[in-house]
This record gives sequence, C-alpha cells and structure tokens, in this order.
Amino acid sequence: MVTPDQVLGSLSDEARSWLAQAREQVAADPAANLPVLLPQLPRRLGRDPFVNGEYATDSLRVNLSAWRTSDAGALLLFQSGDVTDEQLLDLYYHGDMEEKAMVFRVATCRPITDATVTLLGEAQRTNTSNHFEAAVCDSNLIVRAVGRSGFGEDDFNRTILKIAFVDLPLARVLDACSMANPELSRMVQDLATEREAAGRRVWRDTNLLIAHAPTAGSIARLAGGLEHGDDAHRLAAARGLAFVKDEKLLALARERLDREPVAEICDAIRTALESTD
Amino acid sequence: MKIFEPHIHMFSRITDDYEKLGLAGVRAVLEPAFWLGQNRTNVGSFIDYFDTILGWERFRAQQFGIHHFCTMALNPREANDDRVNDAVMEILPRYVEKDSVVGVGEIGLDDQTKKEEKYYIAQLELALRHNLPVLIHTPHRDKKKGFERCIAILKDMDYPMGKILLDHGNEETIKITRELGCYQGFSIYPHTKMDENRMVAIVLEYGIERMIINSAADWGVSDPLMVPKTIVKLNQAGVPEDQIQQLVWANPVNFFAQSGRMNLEELDRPAGFDRRETFDGNSVLRGQDPDR
Repeated sequence: MVTPDQVLGSLSDEARSWLAQAREQVAADPAANLPVLLPQLPRRLGRDPFVNGEYATDSLRVNLSAWRTSDAGALLLFQSGDVTDEQLLDLYYHGDMEEKAMVFRVATCRPITDATVTLLGEAQRTNTSNHFEAAVCDSNLIVRAVGRSGFGEDDFNRTILKIAFVDLPLARVLDACSMANPELSRMVQDLATEREAAGRRVWRDTNLLIAHAPTAGSIARLAGGLEHGDDAHRLAAARGLAFVKDEKLLALARERLDREPVAEICDAIRTALESTD
Repeated sequence: MKIFEPHIHMFSRITDDYEKLGLAGVRAVLEPAFWLGQNRTNVGSFIDYFDTILGWERFRAQQFGIHHFCTMALNPREANDDRVNDAVMEILPRYVEKDSVVGVGEIGLDDQTKKEEKYYIAQLELALRHNLPVLIHTPHRDKKKGFERCIAILKDMDYPMGKILLDHGNEETIKITRELGCYQGFSIYPHTKMDENRMVAIVLEYGIERMIINSAADWGVSDPLMVPKTIVKLNQAGVPEDQIQQLVWANPVNFFAQSGRMNLEELDRPAGFDRRETFDGNSVLRGQDPDR
C-alpha cells in the first residue's frame, strides 16, 4: 500500500537518511527503538499532506488524502519490524498528541485484532477530535471491525452517533452506509430531534444515513428534508431517495424537482427517479 | 504584539484562561513539568501527568489558537520522595524525545537537600545527552543561597550557560546571574515572587538581554495575564516597543528553539491551522465546528 518510494520521494536528503536509519533500528529491535523514534517523525519528516488517493485491497480501504508525510513514515517504521499488538498499545498509551494520531492511522492498515478493539474504545472516549478522526475516519476500519469480539453493531452505532454528534461527514467513514440499521437511524433521528428542540444545527448527513435503513419517522424526515432550507440537508435527502424507493416520497421529489435551484440536488433527485423507474 | 508565555501550568487552569491569553496576544505557552500541589505516590501518576501535558493540554491550547510546548522533569520537590524519584528518572529518556518537549525542567533546588542535588545533576546530564535547554526552578526560601548553589554545580560541570534558564529571579539574584551568560527568568505574581512595577524597575536598570518574564500561573493564587499586564507597565514606563517584543517573544523563543524542535514558521501562524483543510480542495476532510 504505502510504498517506501512514495514516502522517500517527498523527503529532503537529511530526512531520507534519517528514515533509512530509523527503519534499520526498528527492524533490529522494535520494542527498544520505536518508542524513541516514533515521536521524532513529525519533526523529521514534516507534517505536509502525503498523497491524494485511496488504497484498497479486498476488504481494506484507506483514504490517503487525509494522511500526512509523518503518518506514512510511521506506517513504514511499523512495517520495518515485527511490531506486536502489545507494542502498538504501549505506543498509544504513552504517546504524545502526534504519536497517538499516527498509531490510529497505522491501525487502519493493520488486521483487526483485540488491539484494534481496544484502540477503537480509546477513540470513542477521547475528546481530542483529531484522534477520533484518525481512528474512525478516512478508512473502513470500524466496518471491518464489526463482528470482532468486543465490537458489535451496538459499538458501531455508538461510533457513528459520535460522528454525527461532532458533525463529521459520513463520507469520511468509508463503507459506513453498508452497516446502516434501523436502531442507528433511531439514534441519529433522536439526536436530530434534540438539536431541533434546542434550536441547534442538525448533522447534515442525517437524511442520507436514515434512508439506508428507515425506521419510524424516517420517511417523514426525508420528506421534510427535501424542503429543508439548508442545501446540505436537501442534498442528503435527495441522495437518500434512491435507497428508500417509497412511492409517496418519490412523488414529492418529482414535484420538488421543478422548484429546486441547486443543480447537484436536481441531479441526485433525477438519479433516484431513474433508478426506481 | 506576539507573546510567548514561557512558564505557565495550564494543567491547573480553565478554558477561560486560554481564551483570555489568546485575546491578550499570547501565541504560545510553555508548560514545565512540576509539582501538582500535593505529592504523588507512584510513578503512574507522573506518567498520566506527562501524557496530559503532551497531549490533551496541547489540544486544549490549540482550540484557542495557542501553541503548547512543555519541558519534562522530575521536579526538585518530589526528587526528595523515594516512592517516585528513581522510577521517574527511568521513564524520562523516553519522554524527553516527545514532539512538543523543548527542554528539561523544572529541575533545580527547592529545599536544598542532598537528594535534590543528586537528581538536579542527573537531569542536567540528561539534557546534555538529548541536546535540550534547561529550565531551572530556584528555591522560594533561602533563595540567594539556592541560586548560588545551582550556579556552583553548573560551573563544576562546565555547563554551557547559554542553555540554562534560571527562573524565579528577583532584585538580589540578577546581581549574581547577569554576567553568567545564562537566561534569567522572572515570575510575575500577584502577591509574592515579583510584581509588574518591580519588573519594570529591573528592566530599566538591567535591560532585556537574555531576560525572560512569565506568570508561572498554577493552582495557587496567580494570574495568567501577568505578562500582558507587565507589557502595559513597561510601555507606560517608556520602554521601546521593539525591546518589549524581544523580552516577551524573541528571548523565550530563541532560548527554547535551541531544542531544534520549534518550527518558527508554524509559530508565525495561530495553532490549529491544518493544511489538510485546503489540500487539493478536498474540503470533505473537515467538518467539525467547535463552536457548535
């Protein structure tokens, strides 16, 4: 996936030389050397964006656009030695802000193990938003983790609810919609109702998510979503139409099409209508 | 005017303080590892504290646009405690390599015991091995003698004085330190160590070369805005603006930049700036609005 060439190509001679030595040290003794080398990565390799693109295998997907050069360097270091789950967790528990983010990014590329579940538990409890993002966003880690002992559908639902709570885009959790379920729809709808009652803004992807697994009230919310004053909410509802295939809702969408001023939303409605013809 | 607050224990402060610091022009803070107001009983408490000032505290600061750095150490007060002293020394080599650690400190003397001297020397050596500057805490009681002892040990070790910041100075200690070549710190406190008017008098008499002022605000009666308040007094006393700027920004930045771990380009921007936001126009990477 992340190749040494991709990382090394963007580095200065000094940084390249440091990384080569660091990889040798990790290969020789990861337990002794990683704790000292990992915290140096951001200042040695820099925090610039890495590459734009996605890595995918049969089951694993990672959006590298969210990575920084130091994240990619961390993955290379981990791949240079046989780093155990115990060492991974030790690096997380005693890591600084940057190290914790790097450990989370690396974890999205590793097989699902008990350590993954432990890290996802840490991510769920943290208030450090960039750590939560590094663990849960820009990969399909939580989708892959579902079914592992200690991480069931309830855990997945709670994680997505936190995504909604902190207003992160659903699209950043790759393949999340494939795990949508009515209980999760209820949870995000209740959050929306609570926010509306308080006069606060509602998660913009609410309508898109509930369309994948409607529950009581979902169709009415989607109908309202098509007439929402906020473009993002209307777009989410329009994109959700294709998954609901509710005739009354589609009729409302046809009627909306003539009045909808945003081209992207019109396209989404047309796509939904064509897919249900 | 940009301010680097080079000694403040934000662990003990609330978010209102961060907001006020940001509004007063504080762009960066440095949090030295120190005592927490009560003794710790095991090394695990130190680890949790170190992890906090390396991570969570840094995140809290960023929310207000403030860069957060720290120094790591076994403080002199708890150097006397055999439940923790050796165990903390064992973990320090790992912690001084962390990304935001730009020095070793607060080390030094407090009650001026033999044990304090032992760990003071050990940590001076640690700083040399990791090429880090050193923040030295000086005693509250019998201060002049404590200063002299700290300096005598440095001289015995032939220590590079440019890498030393002797903190909590006053009118008496500056007479001892001004010719040493080290940096001299002054903690401006509401009632004790040093106040704004006395600090103005010191600046008028001795100038601002290698001088550093801080609030040392912590869990006690203290004021995180003491540096901005002192700036006002210095201004009113006619100290030129460029000299004040050197005192509250260039001097501390130059001292801690000796760690090689401060990116001066990043310091020019408020903290929290994330280049991913504009990376390739990919706005999908962001979403959270902390005001909501």
